[in-house]
Amino acid sequence: MAPTQTSESAANVKVDTAAIRAREQVTARRVMFAGSGEPLALIGAMVVLIVIFSILNPRFATIENLQNVLNQASLPLIIGLGATLVILIGSIDLSVEGVMGASGVAFVLLSANSRGGHDTGLWAWILPLVLAAALGATSGLIYTMLRVPSFIVTLGMWFVGFGIATILYGTDAYPELTDDTVTLWVAKITLGLPNGFWVAAILTVLMALVIRFTRFGRVALAMGNNEEIARSNGMPIVRNKVFIFIVAGLFSGLAGILATMQMGGTSNHIGDGYLFITIPAVVIGGTSLGGGKGGVFRTAIGVLLLTILNNGLVLAGVSPSYQSAVSGAILVVAIVAAAWPQRGRLRIAK
Amino acid sequence: MTKAKEATTPVLRLTDVKKSFGSVHALKGISLEIHRGEVIGLIGENGAGKSTLLKILTGIYQPDKGTIAVNGSTVKFRNPRDSAASGIGVVHQEQSLFTNLTVAENIAMNGAASKGYGTTLGFYRWGKLNKAAASTLEIIGSKLNPKTRVGDLSFVDRQMVEIARAISVDTSKNATPLVILDEPTSLLERGETAILEREIRKLKDFGSVIFVSHRLDEIIRNCDRILVMRHGELVADRVTTSVTEDELFKLMVGHESHATAHERRARPANEVPAIEVTGLTRKGKFKNVSLSVHSGRVTAIVGTSGSGREEFSRAIFGAEKFDGGTIVLNGQPARGWRIPKAVKRGMGFVPAERKVEGMVGGFSAAENIVLTHPGDAAIGPILLPWKRNKIAQRWFSTLDVRPNDISQNLERFSGGNQQKVVMAKWLNDPELRVLVLDHPLRGLDPGAAETVNEQIKEACKKGTAVILLADTLEEALEMGDDVVVMRDGVISATYDLSVDNPSTLDLLERMV
Repeated sequence: MAPTQTSESAANVKVDTAAIRAREQVTARRVMFAGSGEPLALIGAMVVLIVIFSILNPRFATIENLQNVLNQASLPLIIGLGATLVILIGSIDLSVEGVMGASGVAFVLLSANSRGGHDTGLWAWILPLVLAAALGATSGLIYTMLRVPSFIVTLGMWFVGFGIATILYGTDAYPELTDDTVTLWVAKITLGLPNGFWVAAILTVLMALVIRFTRFGRVALAMGNNEEIARSNGMPIVRNKVFIFIVAGLFSGLAGILATMQMGGTSNHIGDGYLFITIPAVVIGGTSLGGGKGGVFRTAIGVLLLTILNNGLVLAGVSPSYQSAVSGAILVVAIVAAAWPQRGRLRIAK
Repeated sequence: MTKAKEATTPVLRLTDVKKSFGSVHALKGISLEIHRGEVIGLIGENGAGKSTLLKILTGIYQPDKGTIAVNGSTVKFRNPRDSAASGIGVVHQEQSLFTNLTVAENIAMNGAASKGYGTTLGFYRWGKLNKAAASTLEIIGSKLNPKTRVGDLSFVDRQMVEIARAISVDTSKNATPLVILDEPTSLLERGETAILEREIRKLKDFGSVIFVSHRLDEIIRNCDRILVMRHGELVADRVTTSVTEDELFKLMVGHESHATAHERRARPANEVPAIEVTGLTRKGKFKNVSLSVHSGRVTAIVGTSGSGREEFSRAIFGAEKFDGGTIVLNGQPARGWRIPKAVKRGMGFVPAERKVEGMVGGFSAAENIVLTHPGDAAIGPILLPWKRNKIAQRWFSTLDVRPNDISQNLERFSGGNQQKVVMAKWLNDPELRVLVLDHPLRGLDPGAAETVNEQIKEACKKGTAVILLADTLEEALEMGDDVVVMRDGVISATYDLSVDNPSTLDLLERMV
C-alpha cells in the first residue's frame, strides 16, 4: 500500500467509531418504540368513539350492548383473520361472500331443517368447510399456477361460490334450522361473552401464534415484504400461497356456518355485506395492502372500531337511510388517517 | 498473499463454463480457480457477463456447458438452496433483506442454513434463533442486536446483516465459505465503505471472497488477485501488486480512457449566478445553507449520509419542502417552489434512486428521453413519434447507449445505459440552466461513468450550472469548480478550486 492510503484509512477509522456510536444510539431508540404507535392511536380513536356514543345514548355503555357489539364483531373478525393472512402476502381475497353463501347453504341442508333433509351430525360441519377450503384452494392454485392476479381470481370465485349456493338453495322455501340449541348457540353468553366471540378470540390468538412462531407464518411475512427475494432464497412460495388461500377459505366457510346458525336459516345471500366491513377493518387496523406488515391483533382492533361505529350510529338514532352513507364516509376518513404517515412521500425508502 | 499461492485444492474451480441466452453468448467458456483465504476482484463493464457468472455460482442460472467444483468435488446447483448448501453466500448489489423481519430471522432465512437453524418442525424457537444469529454476527465483529427489525437499520448495518447471512451458509461439507460481494459499496458513503473494507479483511481469515465493484481504486485496495471480464470472456487474471488503475480500465473497456480534464471556470465577478440559494433551512435536516453557482460552473457538495446534502439538493429542485430561506434563479426569486415550476425555470434533477425516481421503466428509451422536454417532438399536446425517434436516436449516438435500440423498454437496459438516458432527458432541454445531480455515477461501470462525466462537462460548456453530489471525494475534486463540505446540516467549508487546492483528507476532516 502506498503511504498516502495508509494515512487516509487511519482517518477513516476515526470516522467510524463516532458514526457507529451515534448509530447504535439511534438503533436502540428505534427498538424501544418500534411499531407501538399506530395501534395505540387506534385504541385512542376507539375510546373517543365510545365516549361520544355514550354521551349521545346512555344505553351504549351497558354490558348488554357490549355483548351485542362483541357478537356483531365476531364474524367479521373470523373472516378478517383469513383476510389478514392473504393481505400480508400482498394478495387479496374477494371471494368471502360467495364462500360464505356456499358453506352456509350446505350447512343448513345437511342439518335438521324445515325442508326436511337429514341431520348428518358432524358432517354438517365437515362438508361445508371442505367445500370452502376447496374454493380457497382453487383460487390459490389459479392464482399461483396460472399467475392471474388474486384480485381477479377471487372476484370470479365469489360468483362461483354464490352460484354453488344458488344451486344448492334451489327453488324451495327458505330452509330454517329446527334445532334451537344450534340457532341460539352463537349469541349465547358463556363467562360473560358470546360464544361466537369466544370462537373468534381463540382463533385470533391461534393465528397470532402461527404468524409469530411458525416457519409458515414467517415465510408469509417474508413473501409479503419481497417475494423476489423470498423466491431466490428457496422458500416454498407456491405451497405457502395456496395454503393461505385454503385457510382464508376455511375462515370464510366457518363464518358462513356461524352466520347461518345466528340467522336460524339461510339463503344464498347470507354473506352479503361482510366483505365491505372486513377488508377496511384489516386496512384500518394497519395491515398494509402492499404486504409484509401487519397482524391479526391489529385486525381485531380494526374490526372492533368499525363495529362500535356501526352500533353507535344505530343507537345515536342516525336514520337507517343515512347510515350506509355515513359509515362509508367515516370509512374513507379512517383509511385516509391510517395511510396518513405514508402520504406524499416522493422519496421511496431504501 | 502468499497463502493464496499454496498448492491446495481450490475452494472453487470453474472449467469452461458457458451460458447463452438465445443467440447471445453471455459466457463464452470461463475457467478460474479461487483458493482459501483469497480476495478476488471481479471487474468488467455492464454486459461483460459478470452477473451471469454470479447467477451461475448462486444457482439462479444453470450453465449450458462446463463444470463447477467446490473443494475438489463437482457440483450442480439446481437452485439457490444448493449453492448455499455448498457454502457459497452472496451479498447482493441491491439489498435482499426482508425489512419487516428481525436481523436474526434474516440471517436464518438464508435457504439451506435455515434448516434446523432455530426451528423445530416448522416452529420457531426465538431464543435459539437469536443466539445463533448473535454468534454469527460475532464472527464478523458486529454488535447488532439480533432482535432489531432490519427496516430500522442504517444502510451499512444492513450490509453487515447481509454479510452475516452470506457466511451463515452451510459449512458442514465445506470448511471455507465463499462470500460473493456484488458491488456492496456502490450505495455506501465514504465512512461506511471503510467499515465494509475492514469486514472484507476479516472475512479472509475464515473464507474466500469474490469482490465485484466498479471502483477500481477499491478493487486494488482490497483484492489479492483481479479477474477482468469482457464480452463474456475472462481477459485478464492479474495479481494486484502488478497492475495500475489505468491498466485495468484499458483491460475492461478495451481502449484507453478518453476522459478530458474539466476546464475550470473561475467565479465571475459581476455576473448574476444561475442559482443563488440563501439561508435555506429545513428543520432537523439542514440549516442556513447558502451557495451560488454561476453558469458553466460545477459546485460539488460532499458530506456523510447525515450531512443533509441530499435533502438540500432535493429541496432546491422542489422535491422536498424547506422551512426558510430563498432560492433565486437568474436573478428571479422562486416562489411556491415545486418540481413543475423548477422544471419550467430550466432545472433538471438526476436522482440517486434511478429506478424509482429517475425513469419510467415500462416506457421505451425514446419516450423517456422526450418525457419532460419533448422539444419539436410535440406540438402542444400532440406527440410526433417520428420526431421523437429522431431525437432519441441522436442522443443514443451521442451517448453511445447500448444496445442501440430506442424502442426497447428502459427497464431492460443496464444501469449505466439507463443513466445515460436519464441524463439525455434533461440535456434535451435547450434552456437547461441548473442541473442537480445526486450521485450520478452510482453503480455505473467506468466506461459509462466516463460518458456521463463527459456530458456534465459538455453541459457546462453550454452554460448550465451544475450542483453535484459526488459518490467519492476524488470525483468531487475532479469535477468541481467549487467544493462545498456539509456536516450535520450546515456548510462546514467551501473551497474555490481555482484558488484552493484541498486534499481528500482536508475534506474528510471537515465532514466529520
